[in-house]
Amino acid sequence: MSKSVSELLWAEKYRPKSLKELVNQEEIVKRLMKFVEERNMPHLLFAGPPGTGKTTAALALAHDLYGEDWRKYVLELNASDERGIAVIRSKVKEFARSKLPGDIPFKIVILDEADNMTADAQQALRRIMEMFVETTRFILIANFPSKIIEPIQSRCASFRFTPLKKEDVVSRLKWICEQENVVCHQDALETIYEISEGDMRKAINILQAAAALGEVTVSHVYKVVGLAHPKEIREILNLALQGKFIESRDRLRELMVTYGLSGTDVLKQMHREIFSADLKIPEDVRVTIADYIGEIQFRIVEGADDEIQLTALLAKLALLGKKISSMKG
Amino acid sequence: MAQEARLPWIIKYRPKRLDEVVDQEEAKAKILEWLKKWPNVPKKALLLYGPPGCGKTSLVEAVANELGYEVLEMNASDFRRKEDIEKVAIRASTMQSLIASGRKKLILLDEVDGIADREDAGGLEAVAELVKISKVPIVMTANNPWDPKLRVLREIAEFVEFKKLRKDDIIRILERICIAEKLKCDKEALDYIATRAEGDARAAINDLQAIGEGFGEVTLERAKALLRPRDKERDPFETLKLLFSAKYAWQAKSVLNQSQLDYEQLKLWLEENIPNQFSDLEDVSRAYEALSKADVYLGRIIRTGDWDLLAYAIDLMTAGVSLSAKNNPRDKDRWTKYSFPQRLLLMSKLKDSRKIRDDLATILAQHLHISTSTAKAEIIPILRAIFISNPEYAAKIAVGLGLSEKMIEMLAGPNKQVVIMHYRRLKEEIEKKAAETIMQLQAKAGRTEKPEARKEKKKEKSQSKTTSTDLTSYFKK
Repeated sequence: MSKSVSELLWAEKYRPKSLKELVNQEEIVKRLMKFVEERNMPHLLFAGPPGTGKTTAALALAHDLYGEDWRKYVLELNASDERGIAVIRSKVKEFARSKLPGDIPFKIVILDEADNMTADAQQALRRIMEMFVETTRFILIANFPSKIIEPIQSRCASFRFTPLKKEDVVSRLKWICEQENVVCHQDALETIYEISEGDMRKAINILQAAAALGEVTVSHVYKVVGLAHPKEIREILNLALQGKFIESRDRLRELMVTYGLSGTDVLKQMHREIFSADLKIPEDVRVTIADYIGEIQFRIVEGADDEIQLTALLAKLALLGKKISSMKG
Repeated sequence: MAQEARLPWIIKYRPKRLDEVVDQEEAKAKILEWLKKWPNVPKKALLLYGPPGCGKTSLVEAVANELGYEVLEMNASDFRRKEDIEKVAIRASTMQSLIASGRKKLILLDEVDGIADREDAGGLEAVAELVKISKVPIVMTANNPWDPKLRVLREIAEFVEFKKLRKDDIIRILERICIAEKLKCDKEALDYIATRAEGDARAAINDLQAIGEGFGEVTLERAKALLRPRDKERDPFETLKLLFSAKYAWQAKSVLNQSQLDYEQLKLWLEENIPNQFSDLEDVSRAYEALSKADVYLGRIIRTGDWDLLAYAIDLMTAGVSLSAKNNPRDKDRWTKYSFPQRLLLMSKLKDSRKIRDDLATILAQHLHISTSTAKAEIIPILRAIFISNPEYAAKIAVGLGLSEKMIEMLAGPNKQVVIMHYRRLKEEIEKKAAETIMQLQAKAGRTEKPEARKEKKKEKSQSKTTSTDLTSYFKK
């Protein structure tokens, strides 16, 4: 592994720079290369599951169009992080203003997680796309194309990214291990593929963490997954369900401080845990708890206080646990 | 005589000696011991707390008298600004160094809970600073030690509790004054005054003076005519006790009218103490459900600015919580040891750690072209796995991504010291190599350019080579 004094995340370090390096999504890549050849492109909509190469394709396209200086011609926005459509409008306006040297008459705005925008915000986005169409092309990236409003879809050339095939993911992981001089086992790489469900970024992240333990073996892969998802949340759930309410509350406080978790973070992790086979509760109770968690999340979104709400949730779980055990007993 | 009559009796009859101070034996012993040991004490300041008029200031003055201290007294109205406190500290410490002849000094800061309420920022910080640098003992007084703003004092001062005076104690004090003032006192009148004072000797003495001074006698009739009902604020413990034990909704609701706690503070005290009071899980859960809903209303008030909603929030958090004890109604009257909300102690820690996590997510989001929420959900857990299992490799990533030591601490948990050690070593290595590179470049430049031009060049070169991205790509290979 790296002998140098610094290291990056492999998901970025081994991100293909140019369209030529992209190994999957052949049909899409072919069409994108055509745009490069013609030095022109329409607005684009990249849709597909996470980790299938949407952002990579967008960045590679920009790289091939503009050359090594491509960053100057690209504005990257993430709809989940921008505070409202007005901010997006002013950023695009500012970006589109300056004229370009060279033979390409437009710049590119990459808008990631566009399907997280409300329908109203998307309407406004449509107007922005029209307003700056002479100087700017948009690449919209989304997980679910159905969540993009019709008028935007009709203005974009649409590309559907399909889940990556197992052999593609495994061979890419193997190639990275060769670059890094890391020993890896075939079954471990296959395990990574299963866990990451065809999400290349997730797969590479797990690979890097497993490699940090030494060789990439199946047991190291599982160890990484265990380390990445702290057991604390499950223990807190178990404590509450055993009726040890005060203990579970104190553990929760400690966890929130050490990891800086917000109430919503905790709720999401709890939600993951309740469907795990390691939590021994009747099946219908999992649904009951999901309902509790959902109600508490709703209250937090309404503006209530994280800790009070989580404490109230733990009290409900403690009561629920008592009812279950009395039914059994 | 006429001159003397104008002096407030509370000052005129302030105890001069220790044995004149009524009750508070425990506090007396504690203060005496602390002062005798000073400065060999775990905490260099004392904070005496208790309801108004229970003898805090009087006791300090009596003890000082007895042990030969001169008291430099300041109270809430004297000074509040940081400069004022600094002046006092300097004055006291320099005087102390000249005591060969003079008397020992003691600083008395009265009503420190008054400092926090005013606008003068930094008042309490200045007090903390004063305690740190002072060469003389510092004694503070406060009514409400649970005021969250007094948190800073908990670490630097020993807290000494003063009990509310009993009615008999107060009657004794009043009788003594009656004799000294040659007042003819009705037994029922003194009882009436003492009852009304609810443990506040100062209030009782003031009342006595108002009724008796100039009349030569104190009668029940005049006492009742002159004294209007007085409102008393209940401390958090009394507030909780009253709230939990309420039998009717209106009783529980009235608690907030006379409490040192406002509804925001009450919310936190309830959050902490519901499971202390109630033992049945269903009751506990019901009470928290009421508190949770009250909290939702409070959130809506903030969002919408609609203060009409406050009434419902208060109904739920008082009556709603109190009447939740359905399975075990006896719990309502159970003697309970209430605790201070841990939450208040954790709050600033929580805020800090959340900020670090947000900053970390922003770095990762930019690096990986993802949203900050994806960074938090996907990348931070993976980094944590790496930081826990391989400190040396983790340190390289920290350098490569430009993470701060605080971020490393958060990611590495129990491993933080090892990772930071490697991280600092790597940084040194980078700086050393950078310095060498600059030297080489300078040497090269020196051969071809004149000294003045060279100087300029040096600056440029060192600037361009010390940005972190340059460095990492330079040494990576």
